[in-house]
Amino acid sequence: MKKWLVGMLILVIVAAGCSNGSSGESGADIAQEITVNAMSEPPDLDPALATDTTSGWVLDHVFEGLYTKDESGNPVLGAAENVDVSEDGKTYTFTLRDDAKWSDGSNVTAQDFEYGWKRVLNPDTGSSFAFYMYYIKGAEAYNKGDGAVEDVGITAQDDKTLVVELGAPLGYFDELLTMWTFYPVKQDLVEENNAWSAEADTYVSNGPFKLTKWAHDSEVVIEKNENYWDNSVVKLDKVTYKIVNDATTYYQMFKTNELDLIQTLPSDVLDQEKESEEYSEVPYFGTYMYMFNVEKEPFTNEKIRRAFTLAVDRETLTKNVTKSGETPAYAFVPPGVETPEGDFRETGGEYFEEDAAEAKRLLEEGMEEEGWTELPEVSISYNTAENNKKIAEAVQAMYKDNLGVDVKLENQEWKTYLDTTQQGNFQMARMGWIGVLVDPVVILDYYLGDSPNNRTNWVNEEYDQLMADAKVEQDPETRYDLLHQAEAVLMEDLPFNPIYHYTNNYLTSQNFENIVYPVNRYPYLKWAEKVSE
Amino acid sequence: MYIVKRILIMLLTIWVIASLTFLIMKFIPGDPFASDADVLPEEVLQNIRAKYNLDEPIAVQYVLYMKDLVTFDLGFSIQSETRSVNSIIADGAPASALLGLQALVIALALGLLLGIVAALNHNKVLDYASMFIAIIGISVPSFILAPLLIKYFAVEWGMLPVASWGTWQHSILPTLALAATPLAVIARFMRSSMLEVTNQNYIKTADAKGLSKTKLVIRHGIRNAILPVISFIGPLFVSLITGTFVIEKIFAIPGIGRYFVDSIFNRDYPVIVGTTIFFSVLLVLTLFIIDISYRYIDPRIKLTSGGE
Repeated sequence: MKKWLVGMLILVIVAAGCSNGSSGESGADIAQEITVNAMSEPPDLDPALATDTTSGWVLDHVFEGLYTKDESGNPVLGAAENVDVSEDGKTYTFTLRDDAKWSDGSNVTAQDFEYGWKRVLNPDTGSSFAFYMYYIKGAEAYNKGDGAVEDVGITAQDDKTLVVELGAPLGYFDELLTMWTFYPVKQDLVEENNAWSAEADTYVSNGPFKLTKWAHDSEVVIEKNENYWDNSVVKLDKVTYKIVNDATTYYQMFKTNELDLIQTLPSDVLDQEKESEEYSEVPYFGTYMYMFNVEKEPFTNEKIRRAFTLAVDRETLTKNVTKSGETPAYAFVPPGVETPEGDFRETGGEYFEEDAAEAKRLLEEGMEEEGWTELPEVSISYNTAENNKKIAEAVQAMYKDNLGVDVKLENQEWKTYLDTTQQGNFQMARMGWIGVLVDPVVILDYYLGDSPNNRTNWVNEEYDQLMADAKVEQDPETRYDLLHQAEAVLMEDLPFNPIYHYTNNYLTSQNFENIVYPVNRYPYLKWAEKVSE
Repeated sequence: MYIVKRILIMLLTIWVIASLTFLIMKFIPGDPFASDADVLPEEVLQNIRAKYNLDEPIAVQYVLYMKDLVTFDLGFSIQSETRSVNSIIADGAPASALLGLQALVIALALGLLLGIVAALNHNKVLDYASMFIAIIGISVPSFILAPLLIKYFAVEWGMLPVASWGTWQHSILPTLALAATPLAVIARFMRSSMLEVTNQNYIKTADAKGLSKTKLVIRHGIRNAILPVISFIGPLFVSLITGTFVIEKIFAIPGIGRYFVDSIFNRDYPVIVGTTIFFSVLLVLTLFIIDISYRYIDPRIKLTSGGE
């Protein structure tokens, strides 16, 4: 089977001023340490429980799954040295490396994987990411309490052989296996001490780094793991994740060299930092959008939804309002997925063109269809945040100018907002979606008829069918074709109004090279090296 | 007898606060497990809720919580599933308390000094200078003062680190930012209290007796004037040592200040009640100690449970 590539934008920072011949030698006496900003305390460093990108950032450095990512972001074998896929694509037999070790020196066994995965699925664990394992035979039934653990298709045949049976073939199983939920945990350690992941002393992992200090709310320190099988590629001896939440503060800490890498710059310094060599913008695999409630007037009408979509000027919005280099969105799947024909977004293209006159015409037609002489009052809802407010106000002004419609704005605090939108108490509401995996499925699943995330009341059988077909399709080209078709159905009905695809911005000290910036995670430091002081 | 009665009242107060907090927080709309990122099937959600007893009726949840509370077990955080509320408080309290104590010492020392100097030089230059400082301290909020301190001491002059925690240098700027407002309040308080006292007849008598100026000020002036300041210090002490959201956020201090605020936004029920109980226990205890200390500062006050 030809291995298809999963796209990831890679940006390698080349340190300035090390073009002279002696740079290689001088590298030897430079302390190989980097201090980055995690912004918030990682809520959980247990692979089974973590659900957020901050925890994931640390986990990705201290653990390694059967698959890991190479420098260009493609899944490659990690803790496994070999994989056999059965003819029907449903059975994977992994052989673990002989030199796969835990940070305490003991061997990583197939039983550790079996135990770790079944622990995720165990209903008593209450893992929020257990559903990522539902592709495995019997997993969903066991997790939902309808099946037995013996029927789950995860079996350690011996210390080095792990057999995984899937319910149906899955085109992106290798990408899926790079996720932290699929990391192994050391069985005897976890069985003995349920709180093993709460402190550094009891923490054992199998990745390029090991956890050596966790000062809650202050810093997390990881150091090079000498027991890691591929430790020769790891250059850094120590990575310190500071936990600094205030944007102005971490920006100033970068300026005084207390931090070597920061992300999400304070908006007031963006203009001045954009020209700096330390500045970089990396697409982030997600989309900022407004959901339409298709059961609340006036968005019951497809033409009116389209009118409200066409009347937004996304160029102006991203250039003058959000200003962090966001890409205007004319579809749902963000750029970043590499397919045999090129980037999924480029081959799929843009699904609509902004046009104020057309929008106005559609609005009138839609109102005529519904028999309205006056448009029902429209409110835009968003969760309370500076950025959301700015965007909503800009969109409000654009509707006034382009459609002649006065819309109201409403905002609520986050958890209340989630409750309100979940109950369908909105007409047009702001939401963001970021893919944990770089695959269109992770994005498009959002609007499945039975997805808990789909708050729009939009259910489309053709869409659901295309998505189901795409998931079992083994041939990459046909698979991407099905996904394009599904996206086309979605963009035809427009249960949502895409605004932009996210971007992360970074400031990175020029003393480092080989830092990798994935589109769906924070910077990966496995190969990073400090080359100057 | 008086002490026993006071302790019983203290326990009752804490129980009422804990109960009210427990009930009120259940009425905040929103769900601790709601998120835009987790696609949680209903069955999984049930399992997670059961872990925190949230599948039980509120009355049962309340009884279960109170049972644990009696053994000082505040439960586990919902946000950080592997951390208990006890350990969150234990990890965060020392940093907050250290900053709070340092700030209190500075605020008291300088505040009292400024107040006394101002009062003794009533309507003279020193008075105006002291009160000018005090007014600045009150009117510049900490979220303005903190970035200013960082800008000059850390960024421009490079004397101290910008933020984070670890060495004593890290604690200087946040202590100053934290001390400014209470310092100013204490100075103004002390000044007016002192002015009032110096107009009393016993001061004039003592003066007429030929007592030295220093003895007069210390023994008769300050000792009497400080009483109202002390009753103000109690709550101030508790609010300082339990951390402040703004200062801890700006200086990246690993304290507990932020948990008082963040827990509510996250609907992290065990942390909301846990931190509230922690705060009220400290407050009630401090007020108790202050009441006792009056007895020693002012012998006129008697510790009797009966009315005067």
